[in-house]
Amino acid sequence: MIDIVGLIAPNILWILAIVIGGTLISISVHFISVGGAPAAMAQATGIGTGTVMLAAGAGIAGIIAAGAVMDLNQDLGVVLGAGGVGAMVMLAATMIVGTWIYAYGVGVMPVSAKVKYDPITKYRQDLYVSQGTEGHGIPTVAFVSSLIGGLLGGFGAALAYYALMKVGTYAYAGVTPLAVHDLNLVGVVAAFTIGFFFINSVIPSYNIVGTIEGFHDPKFKRWPKAAVASFLASIPLGIVAVIAVGALALVGGL
Amino acid sequence: MTEQKMIPPNTLMAIGAVGGLVCVYLAYFLAPANPIFVFFGALGAVFAAVWGADAVRRIASYGLGTGVPSIGLLALGMGIIAVLFSLALDISAGAPIVAFIVSCAIGAIIGIISVKILGMTIPIMVSATTEIAGAGALLILGLGIVIAGSLDYAIFVKEVVTTGFIMLIYIAGGMAMLHPHNSNLGPDETQDRLLALSAEKAGIAVILAGFASVAGMGAIIVTVLIGLIIWYYFFSKYYDFVKRDAYKVVDTGLLPTEEEMQ
Repeated sequence: MIDIVGLIAPNILWILAIVIGGTLISISVHFISVGGAPAAMAQATGIGTGTVMLAAGAGIAGIIAAGAVMDLNQDLGVVLGAGGVGAMVMLAATMIVGTWIYAYGVGVMPVSAKVKYDPITKYRQDLYVSQGTEGHGIPTVAFVSSLIGGLLGGFGAALAYYALMKVGTYAYAGVTPLAVHDLNLVGVVAAFTIGFFFINSVIPSYNIVGTIEGFHDPKFKRWPKAAVASFLASIPLGIVAVIAVGALALVGGL
Repeated sequence: MTEQKMIPPNTLMAIGAVGGLVCVYLAYFLAPANPIFVFFGALGAVFAAVWGADAVRRIASYGLGTGVPSIGLLALGMGIIAVLFSLALDISAGAPIVAFIVSCAIGAIIGIISVKILGMTIPIMVSATTEIAGAGALLILGLGIVIAGSLDYAIFVKEVVTTGFIMLIYIAGGMAMLHPHNSNLGPDETQDRLLALSAEKAGIAVILAGFASVAGMGAIIVTVLIGLIIWYYFFSKYYDFVKRDAYKVVDTGLLPTEEEMQ
């Protein structure tokens, strides 16, 4: 049995960081424009896949970017920035290629069914919505909203990753601290962060019932509920994660 | 549709939880004697997958609104965290049961939060998320012991997590839980067909885990063979159920040639 109290005591701050990361991930899902299966058939606005797939894809891209940078530079701002940009790049690439397919393959124009005028470009929307659909493609406002979502999700994922790495590399009494290059540490932290990201992207997707267009969608107003839910759910997860990662450092690596 | 005989949820829960735990423990205690016995872990994973698929079937038939995959990935996400945590505690033989209990607890917490804060109206939300979390943990333990040949934290991390096979377990194991309902849902869905598909998918996961195993050539051969048998048996069973439930199964033939298209 390992010393649980000795592990949690010096890491309270990092547990808090993990919880904040989880809450950020939860909020980010509300920004990302997903339409689910209807969008895949160009019958709803947004990217044509489930919230969890998309948010998780962006989150994992963020974790990879954050992890790669963390190996070279342990500055919190740099790691967070890398995570946010990594997730944004993944989402932007998905959306721009998706838009090409909607425009040139399916033959529909990007249009939102939730607002009359696009809040960013001020273009008229409602005239161009095909009958019987909930909009189609990814209009400018949804694109920008998703990028904000990617940024927040990447921040959240990178923050959780950074916190767990700090827990793993902390100098516990009587052991040589692990290096940030320790592969086993990186593996455990990455596996944890990905599991953590999936949980925190499923909770908000229940909140929005699977589809949302972005910050202009009326459903967006529900975000505080999901933020509270993820905040509460992240507390036990953060404690459990800190113990498992800290145990690795306590024995001085493998 | 004629009345189908259904396996009650409690029976499946008993088979999945007890069968899964017993198999993981058999693998745990017998593997030091002869690494071939890690195949019990694979059997435990199959039990857990079938139980999890039934729990997913019950909860997702209410309509989650987010697609079935979300709940399968949620289950494995909770399982991964609980398994790594309990192995890290360094409590030797207590680890599998602690992983199972911790995972169920995380599942219950998330279920309660979904009902109380997000206001989800699914009546079995809490019990079903608890069940899928438990099944997810058993799946990871079962396939993990096949790959690592041991549940020692150091060996598990080195052979399963650092090598990246944890993602293989995550997705292949998740498939065995989420895919059956995702592909069978609808008014003509039947439980036995769905469970056969789940066991078939778990067979594929067992084959993959067997290939990734470091427990020795004997363990690899036995596990892959068992996986192949499970896969073949349940695939034929699933195909029989499809033929039984379908109005008619017809052969579409080959693609038409260019002349026939004219």
